[in-house]
Amino acid sequence: MKYFMIAIVCVLCFLLPFFVGAYLIHVLTSIMIFLSLALSWDMMLRTGQLSFGIAGFFGLGAYASIIAVDDFSIDPLWSILVAAGFAALIALALGWIVLRLREIYFAITTLALSSVFMIFARNLSDLTGGSAGKVLYESIFKGDSIKIYWLVLSVALTVILVSELFQRTRIRFAINAIRDDEIAAKCSGVNIFKYLLFVFVLTSAIQGAVGALYAQQYAFVEPESTFSANFLLLPMSMALVGGIYSSLGPIIGAVVLGLASEYLKLIMPYGHLIIYGLILVLTIMFLPRGIYGTVVNRIAAKR
Amino acid sequence: MLLRTEKLTKSFGGLIAVKSVDLKVNQGEILGIIGPNGAGKTTLTNLISGVFYPTEGRIHFEDKDITFVPAHLRARMGIARTFQLVRPLRDFTAFENVVVSCLFARGESLREARKSARKICELVELDQPERRLDRLTVFELKKLEIARALGCQPKLLILDEVMAGLNFEEMQRMIQLVKSLREKQITICVIEHVMSVISQLTDRVVVLDRGEIIAEGPYEKVAHDPKVITAYLGEEA
Amino acid sequence: MKRNFVGYVVLAIALFLIALLRPYAFFYGVQRGSLYGLVALPLALILGIVGLLNLAHGEFLTLSLYMTYLLFTKWGMDPLVSPAVTVPLLLAFGFVVYKLVIERSLKTHHLNLLLLTFGVSIVMVESLNIWWTSRPRNIYVPYASTSVNIFGVYVGGYEFLYTIAVVLVLTGLLLFLKKTRLGQATYAVGQNPKGAAIVGINVKFVYAFVFSLAAGLVALAGALLSVRSSIFPQAGGPFTMKSFSLTAMAGLGNLPGIVLAGIVLGIAEEFVKSIPGYTGWADLVFFVVLIAAIVFRAFGRREG
Repeated sequence: MKYFMIAIVCVLCFLLPFFVGAYLIHVLTSIMIFLSLALSWDMMLRTGQLSFGIAGFFGLGAYASIIAVDDFSIDPLWSILVAAGFAALIALALGWIVLRLREIYFAITTLALSSVFMIFARNLSDLTGGSAGKVLYESIFKGDSIKIYWLVLSVALTVILVSELFQRTRIRFAINAIRDDEIAAKCSGVNIFKYLLFVFVLTSAIQGAVGALYAQQYAFVEPESTFSANFLLLPMSMALVGGIYSSLGPIIGAVVLGLASEYLKLIMPYGHLIIYGLILVLTIMFLPRGIYGTVVNRIAAKR
Repeated sequence: MLLRTEKLTKSFGGLIAVKSVDLKVNQGEILGIIGPNGAGKTTLTNLISGVFYPTEGRIHFEDKDITFVPAHLRARMGIARTFQLVRPLRDFTAFENVVVSCLFARGESLREARKSARKICELVELDQPERRLDRLTVFELKKLEIARALGCQPKLLILDEVMAGLNFEEMQRMIQLVKSLREKQITICVIEHVMSVISQLTDRVVVLDRGEIIAEGPYEKVAHDPKVITAYLGEEA
Repeated sequence: MKRNFVGYVVLAIALFLIALLRPYAFFYGVQRGSLYGLVALPLALILGIVGLLNLAHGEFLTLSLYMTYLLFTKWGMDPLVSPAVTVPLLLAFGFVVYKLVIERSLKTHHLNLLLLTFGVSIVMVESLNIWWTSRPRNIYVPYASTSVNIFGVYVGGYEFLYTIAVVLVLTGLLLFLKKTRLGQATYAVGQNPKGAAIVGINVKFVYAFVFSLAAGLVALAGALLSVRSSIFPQAGGPFTMKSFSLTAMAGLGNLPGIVLAGIVLGIAEEFVKSIPGYTGWADLVFFVVLIAAIVFRAFGRREG
């Protein structure tokens, strides 16, 4: 019954463009982009590692995809896979080093990596177009917003599926154990490094793919805006507000904050990011488990 | 011989916690490891289970050199341990704690691991294992430590002060539990402060003081060794 | 010890060679590096004693830049006099931020604290953005653009104030930590907060004090920097990462090391900038050093 409901919801999501207007489709597309990023950030956080690197891998994917289309004439659709693969490869190479680090050292190094990627994007002018960036002749699907919506929806659903697989298989036991107590985990036979590397590479690939989607939608990349801190701040706020360590939490957070930010943009076109900062601060102070986590706790307490 | 260490040494900066220890653990025995506070018992456990690598010396397990084998592989080879200060995984229920080691140390599937974990919880008499951890008593937490270690299907089980904090009756039940484990062909090292437990359980005792082995043999013999008495009472006595 | 010594000799020779071959890079580097050290010291203080990495550190610097700018334009106060006002103001601001936001979250998971300060930094940047827009502002004072002749090399004279300031602040901090009662208590809290609490030190007070002190020291750096930098909402941001790089490189608690690391990195940065065609890569120096330093330390204490 539950799966039947989920299937219905999925089908409805795909049919939505036939019932609602172009503006809402555009908003939903953007929400799903951030939702995928939020989930990927949360999946890494479930291992206990706070990554500030998602904007970096997002930008990496965006550049890889645009370059693949522009310089290697790869089909835009395939370029998304290329971007995911490229981000995964970089994550694999860097993961060998970065994943030996913990806590603030891991967080800061991932933040530093984002800046390093940006410096490369700005300075490897022959490949990346330097600080002017790169513009494609046209958007993916010739800019057909409904097809783009379907594509983004498919990617978002895939990410949700992956996140649920994390929660329902042995992976959940491994990464929760690592988060709780690494020494107890390894004495129980958990290969900590293998799982951390796996999650890091997978989430980086997701971030790369999402970056590619975003870049193909707007058909350009540019260092400042592609590696913008927004692609870190918004997903993080969404996951925190919705509730970390779950699939549903980041989804709720993405929808709530996504819709709220559209509204904010209307009433406050300039500097609306301050609201995100405030939400981030207030959530951590007063609602550390987020909306979903708090609800679940309330229900559990009543039992 | 199940486990053998050769001149095992571990220093932290200038402090030598374990100094040139040659420990032998025979198949099927219950070995007691005793010594005053700071003698290096827990460090020895950490070295054997792979939490630290030694500064010098080697460790052999079933005739394989495991000196630099990572901890998770040792768990899979059948070296399991409990922690003196219990380290349950807080985000899991008691039952799921046991599932973790069944999954990863035994390499079982999720379904098999749940089945094995249920059996283990029955074996250690952990009632209502689906409870959250904050509802568990000290005795139950200690039993959970053992249950999780048993999830590794151990050949060698190191019990680091499992009696600490238990009352007399609980201690008797714990002793019965450890004895029942020996009948399952598990070799056991008991690190303990409570001497009555050591005398009831062990076949042989090793005494550590300041990182070195100062005596070994049956409990009755070791307990009367003047070196051991000095170590416990201090030089002046 | 011996390896350290060899390292220092190699470093000294490298610096000497740079001074000889590219004297401009050397002097600019010393100046720039002193500034980095000056900004990094307060961050290291909070990290070492409160155990908190303040990601809003650079934004505190930005705030002090704007304050100096405001005092200069509204009342014509000289930037070198303004610390008399801005230091107490930022002390108070740091105290408020600590009490309002940080203190109640100290007991939660420390990654929460990191996210919290990240949120604070966003709020600060965006507030400045809203109030003063993103338009860069400048303070012009004639003495800031004088130059001095050192062995035939003409370099800006004003920036040597950074060097003087960093030496003064460093000496002050070291004396404070060693010689005063409060300083010793602070040091004890950094070593072992629980133990310090047991012997009767008011840990909460020390934390609040250190946080405010750090904010006040940042205001000093801000006043000095204000006449040589464009003032815009993101002006201070990069300093957070740079300060953390220096702290990671020198090691927690090694305050003189931080200043030394700052100068070495300042010179390295200016050196890269001085190579034609590689100017844009200069920013990479810090990140490479940061990652190398962190990783080197991580592998150094690697276990099982």
